[in-house]
Amino acid sequence: MAEKMELDNVVVWDGNYAAAQALRQAQVDVVSAYPITPSTPIVEGYGKFVADGYVDGEFVMVESEHAAMSGCVGAAAAGGRVATATSSQGFALMVEVLYQASGMRLPIVLTVVNRALASPLNVRGDHSDMYLGRDSGWIQLDAFNAQEAYDLTLCAFKIGENHSVRLPVMVHQDGFITSHTAQNVHPLQDDEAYAFVGEYQPLDEMLDFTRPVTYGAQTEEDWHYEHKAKQHKAILDSRDVIDNVFAEFEKLTGRKYNRVETYMMEDADVAIIALGTTVETARLVAEEMRKEEGIKAGVVAPRCFRPFPFDGIREALKNVKAVGCMDRSAPGGALGALFNEVSAAMHADGNSALMTNYIYGLGGRDLTVDAIKEIYRELDSNAKSGKRAGKIQQFVSLRGPKLEYFE
Amino acid sequence: MSTIKKIRNLKELSTANDRFEGAHLLCPGCAHSIIVRELMNCTDDNLVISSNTGCLEVCTAVYPYTSWDTSWIHIGFENAATSISGAEAMYKARKRKGTLKDPDAPVKFVAFGGDGSTYDIGFQWLSGAVERGHDFTYICLDNEVYANTGGQRSGSTPLGSSTTTAPAGRVSYGKKQMKKDLVGIMAAHGAPYVAQMSPNKWKDMLKKMQKALATEGPVFLNAISACTTEWKFDPKDTIAISDLATDSLVFPLYEIINGRELNITYRPKNVIPVKDYLGAQGRFRHLFKPENAHILEQWQKAVDDQWEYLQRREEARV
Amino acid sequence: MKQSENPKFLGTEELLGWDEVTQGIVLESFEKEVENVAFLKQEERPYSEFSSFTASVADWRVIKPIFNRDICIDCQNCWVFCPDTSIISRDKKMIGIDFDHCKGCGVCVEVCPTNPKSLLMFEERKDIDEALSEWPEKKKKSKEA
Repeated sequence: MAEKMELDNVVVWDGNYAAAQALRQAQVDVVSAYPITPSTPIVEGYGKFVADGYVDGEFVMVESEHAAMSGCVGAAAAGGRVATATSSQGFALMVEVLYQASGMRLPIVLTVVNRALASPLNVRGDHSDMYLGRDSGWIQLDAFNAQEAYDLTLCAFKIGENHSVRLPVMVHQDGFITSHTAQNVHPLQDDEAYAFVGEYQPLDEMLDFTRPVTYGAQTEEDWHYEHKAKQHKAILDSRDVIDNVFAEFEKLTGRKYNRVETYMMEDADVAIIALGTTVETARLVAEEMRKEEGIKAGVVAPRCFRPFPFDGIREALKNVKAVGCMDRSAPGGALGALFNEVSAAMHADGNSALMTNYIYGLGGRDLTVDAIKEIYRELDSNAKSGKRAGKIQQFVSLRGPKLEYFE
Repeated sequence: MSTIKKIRNLKELSTANDRFEGAHLLCPGCAHSIIVRELMNCTDDNLVISSNTGCLEVCTAVYPYTSWDTSWIHIGFENAATSISGAEAMYKARKRKGTLKDPDAPVKFVAFGGDGSTYDIGFQWLSGAVERGHDFTYICLDNEVYANTGGQRSGSTPLGSSTTTAPAGRVSYGKKQMKKDLVGIMAAHGAPYVAQMSPNKWKDMLKKMQKALATEGPVFLNAISACTTEWKFDPKDTIAISDLATDSLVFPLYEIINGRELNITYRPKNVIPVKDYLGAQGRFRHLFKPENAHILEQWQKAVDDQWEYLQRREEARV
Repeated sequence: MKQSENPKFLGTEELLGWDEVTQGIVLESFEKEVENVAFLKQEERPYSEFSSFTASVADWRVIKPIFNRDICIDCQNCWVFCPDTSIISRDKKMIGIDFDHCKGCGVCVEVCPTNPKSLLMFEERKDIDEALSEWPEKKKKSKEA
């Protein structure tokens, strides 16, 4: 019987430790994991819990991240609660298995500590790994601080394991900026946290010998399409479950999460849309812009990146005249992912807000308050003149001649 | 409670109720299913089975059909050893927590992979699973080629074999490298039991399969799987070709216990020349051209050397 | 001998919509709970429509094995070496061929030890009784393998 921990009302945890604690409290049956910076402390923290008797489940340290996710899939098919953690290169290495896991409709929780993808090799925080997983069929939730990393990880189990969802869920947090920054966290006590997540309810489990099941069949061109369409429907249908779980979580803790987080958007003329810790910095700057420069600034964040909150984004930005889409990932010859997806949501109905793509913070480059102020000022100029001051895609805080594309 | 079925002869084995169904898509005469059937018949325990992508997987689970009467999982090309590790870990966790539907039901975990997935792309996954000591048996269905995708060379393809990616042609005699000694590599992992077996010697194979399932910890079994399509022989000759393989000592049958005790388990009454084995298969036909005579010599020498090595290691108990 | 009157050949299944395919392509082998399927003979099992046992590959064959019960010694060689679970053996006795699943590979004939053999390959449309009446005599001192 696993020992319980008594936690203070307010603790000082970094994002990694917060995630590890959430995994412990969820009483995961199998954690199959591999270390990679900056997510390693999650796995180390969990390993220490195991060594000290706080974990009843199995902890399998495998030989690569691909093996980590493969072990998770095998364990999930065997009918129990499963989780792991990774970043960047490890995430890239397990991408094949991410698609397999979602196609097989297996609930798994993956805490991703976002880190840049090589080359060049970089261990710092950016969103290139999160973007790499966009099409993998996983639900993706984004945490902007340690509290959220803890909260959303608990929610992730409840969402993914719901029998009408049965999908794997990723919980993202910024590498180093969140994962390694000690912050105040209000945790739940062990019993409360586990009661919220609930007991695992097996479905199609390989260890029920009275009902043998085959997982991972092949489909030819006559069956594949229907299966993938069904999977797409499942992830879109999960939106209701996510909303319900967030509502339940609010009742329990008073902390309310939304698939689209909006800040001062009621009367905003200009808005920044971003992910990760940038959201919190932007909120701070938006307040200052209103106070100091009279710019009606707001901030939007797709807390639930997948399923993409198409309607929620459209709704949040419908009255805005200029939007800055901030992408923290090397765009690779196109406009940033957030820009593309948000613009599509905006323009589906012919919304004519001026959209600008700001590439920033790659490889952990700091995004300053001043840089965001400049962005708001440019957005404001765009909104007032009806014309873009700069080009459509710009690199923020980049040393060297200004790099910008498309008019 | 798991017990090893006492099987004294083939008639007793035949009372087993097959849990591998027909109307799969394997080629007529394929040795894979002979091996799989025997594994599933050598025990009455519940089985949880995983397969790497390959002939076996692709031919037994194409929607909307499954040929498996036990729980089975396929994820990808590399990771049968790891998916079964995950299932085994889940079994241990759920047993400890008391959440299994039938906690007393005996169960064995078995992974299947072809030589492509075992010797090459999935080697790391197998190595990791064995190093971690999961309680499972890995059976490599070795047909010495990437058969499922049309016969490309693998790390198991032997010298001089013509494959689609190392074909015999005007200036080449086929694969230039020797076959990897995977059984030796897995023994060096310290696995409690590894063995090489062949379906024509059903009794030897049965003993090894039962010993594998009875052994606690990771077990690696390499099964020679004569492939009518890629080795190029008539489907009816699968067992005959396997006989040539074991009687020429190209595929010696042996076991290694705890990485140290090697036992040769089949000593042919009459050892036949290697070229009789090679000559019976289309994939080696080109080796009988006069300019390739030295390859045939190399072959016989390599087989003789290996047999000598096995006998010495058996004697020295190392 | 087993042969369905209305064989379900592969590829003839009804093509269903996304709302009817199984979740996560999971296939269940049986349509009811089974205690331990290792203790049930095939004819006792509640196979689901997803089990390949319910399908037929009879259309793969151009030649088929015919079984001569009078000569057979129930050695079980053909049973153990059949790649298609198509030799039906019950209580250590050979019953016959499962013609829904036999692909006509001919391995069973090769491994049959009797003289004359108890299994021989014939052209697919051959009448069984006719084949049995034409069965060859015992071979004398043959050098055949």
